[in-house]
Amino acid sequence: MERRSLAVLAKAGAVLCAMVGVSLAPDALQTWLLAAPAFGQLLYQRKLRLALSFGACYLLLSLLLYGIRFHGLRMVIFSEFYVLMFFSLMPVFVTAWDLISTPPGELSAALSQIHAPTPVILGMLVVFRFFPTMKAELRGVHQSMKNRRLTGPAQVLCHPAVTCEYVLVPLLLRCLQIADQLSVSAVARGAQAPGARGSYAATGIRAKDLAWLGIWAAATALFLGMGGPA
Amino acid sequence: MIRFAHTCFQYADSGDGVEDIGLHVRKGECVVLTGPSGNGKTTLTRLVNGLAPAFYAGRLSGAVELGGRDRREEPLWQRGRLVGSVFQDPKSQFFSSQLAGEVAFACENYGIPHDEIVSRTDAAIRAFRLEGLRDRPLDVLSSGEKQRTAMASVCALDPPVLVCDEPTANLDEQGIRELRDALLQFKREGRTLLIAEHRLAWLVGLADRFVYVREGRLRWEKTPEQMLGMTEEERERLQLRSVREGAPAALPPPTGEGVPAVSLEGLACGRGRKCIWEDLRLAAWPGRVTALTGRNGAGKTTLAKILAGLERPSRGEIRIHGRKASPAQRRKHCWYSANDTGTQFFTNSVSEELLLGLPRTQAVLDRARALLRRFALYAYKDAHPAILSGGQKQRLAIACGLISGREILLLDEPTSGLDGGNMRIIADALRAEADHGKTVLVITHDGELIRACCDSQWKLE
Repeated sequence: MERRSLAVLAKAGAVLCAMVGVSLAPDALQTWLLAAPAFGQLLYQRKLRLALSFGACYLLLSLLLYGIRFHGLRMVIFSEFYVLMFFSLMPVFVTAWDLISTPPGELSAALSQIHAPTPVILGMLVVFRFFPTMKAELRGVHQSMKNRRLTGPAQVLCHPAVTCEYVLVPLLLRCLQIADQLSVSAVARGAQAPGARGSYAATGIRAKDLAWLGIWAAATALFLGMGGPA
Repeated sequence: MIRFAHTCFQYADSGDGVEDIGLHVRKGECVVLTGPSGNGKTTLTRLVNGLAPAFYAGRLSGAVELGGRDRREEPLWQRGRLVGSVFQDPKSQFFSSQLAGEVAFACENYGIPHDEIVSRTDAAIRAFRLEGLRDRPLDVLSSGEKQRTAMASVCALDPPVLVCDEPTANLDEQGIRELRDALLQFKREGRTLLIAEHRLAWLVGLADRFVYVREGRLRWEKTPEQMLGMTEEERERLQLRSVREGAPAALPPPTGEGVPAVSLEGLACGRGRKCIWEDLRLAAWPGRVTALTGRNGAGKTTLAKILAGLERPSRGEIRIHGRKASPAQRRKHCWYSANDTGTQFFTNSVSEELLLGLPRTQAVLDRARALLRRFALYAYKDAHPAILSGGQKQRLAIACGLISGREILLLDEPTSGLDGGNMRIIADALRAEADHGKTVLVITHDGELIRACCDSQWKLE
């Protein structure tokens, strides 16, 4: 199925509108007015799995709020404060997740379009590579420790500091090694070249992007206009 | 195209480097640098792509000319358009998680207009037959596909010179064939190739000259015909790998008498909905060295990790000495040595590493000393494992397995990226352990290692 992705600028506009709306919200319970376009944006882009998982979360939070409001529900660990906070922040979570799950190539193209400095763009690309790589490395360290029988409960409980060292030392050394290899790969491929970066991903704003920016501006204005800023 | 004249280079942080190099590589020529590890081959490639001294600081004297000019005053990014670089391990050099983004990376850096980046990137993706992989994350590609992605990324920029530093270290035979085809095409287009490499057989038919580098100096030059005429003894003395494409090893499947040391029955493994393999049956007996072969991505490493008790299968059972064994029990009997030694060492010195988790009895200390001598690591006994070379790390990892006392050894590609000398040390050690009653299973694509020490072979389809 073809994805109908929005441009990075439109997604960033959505995050901004959601943040402004939520932080100036006249009534936290009314933030569903912003959640609606946020979910609409996911559905428009056919990100169905993402919409479903965030939707399930939102539904659960709504049910909890209903219980708290009308049936005196009290929870020890997840108090009503957190329920309300997550409920009202949901539009920001959804739009922000939509933005950061954009392929890095499109994000870097958008950053070059707004003339962000090259180190910022490369830094962003590295951050996107860093977490999956470190996850794989951590798994490698854990398996090596298991192989050398360094993960037994007796070992971990009797020597917690040494166990931490066993995790950190190879991980940090590996970090250095990866940083070195990535730098070599970058400089050998012209990362230090002066001037604006080009981009493979198209950066043009299309009618649908403008339409979504319009929807967000209207939704935020309507939401804030309902009771005036708090 | 490339000319070294009385070139000397010494790294600032160590005494290593190259001395008095004289070499002329003509346009459209393919020259292979070979010789033992750590003797200056990589340094020569770095002098060509400019990483030495611009990135790896050091003192350079004499001339390094590219296209008839000494370019040391030019900034490094200008060199990048002239010289493309392919490294040993492509996965740690990717900047993007997606194919197109990675292939376009260099073009983007040079600020090439959008339409041209798209046409160059798409052409490179087609040329390296990567079209079907556009939607898959780079992390899940096989080693061969990753190396082709790295090549496509370099070729999208269309450089007249290509330097490769051990490009086949992680490739299976199919991956090597694909790389060879790509390089042949590159050469036919009139471009110049400089390749630092241990595995030599795949280069016959591609290389015009072989240059031997030892202790930082060029010792001799030979044509492919002269290389093919070299005797076995001469090759061993020079620590070189075989130049002839050996016949594929036709070893029997593992057999033996009595209860097998390890056996598996109806084993299956999947990731998510994808089945990696199912209904595997395998048994291995003490005293044998069995080669586990199969293409890149067939699931050999996963199988070894499951046997070693580091991962769980989806179905099936594993028996050790005839008894069904849980992962924890398997870890008591099996040692797994990963191909990537980067995350395997935990202490501050080679000797501490060897003794980690073992009682410090006189017998253990004597055994450790003997192992360090046997693996030529005694001189480094107080050194930090991180400073060892690739071959030394691999030897240390195997020594740790031998001293652990576990009777089943599972080794994952122990000789990838190693020179002939290191390969033979490891082959001899594996053979000796099997002769002392251990069960050795070795995952490998290395035909020379199989011929040198394995007595049976099991192929994972």
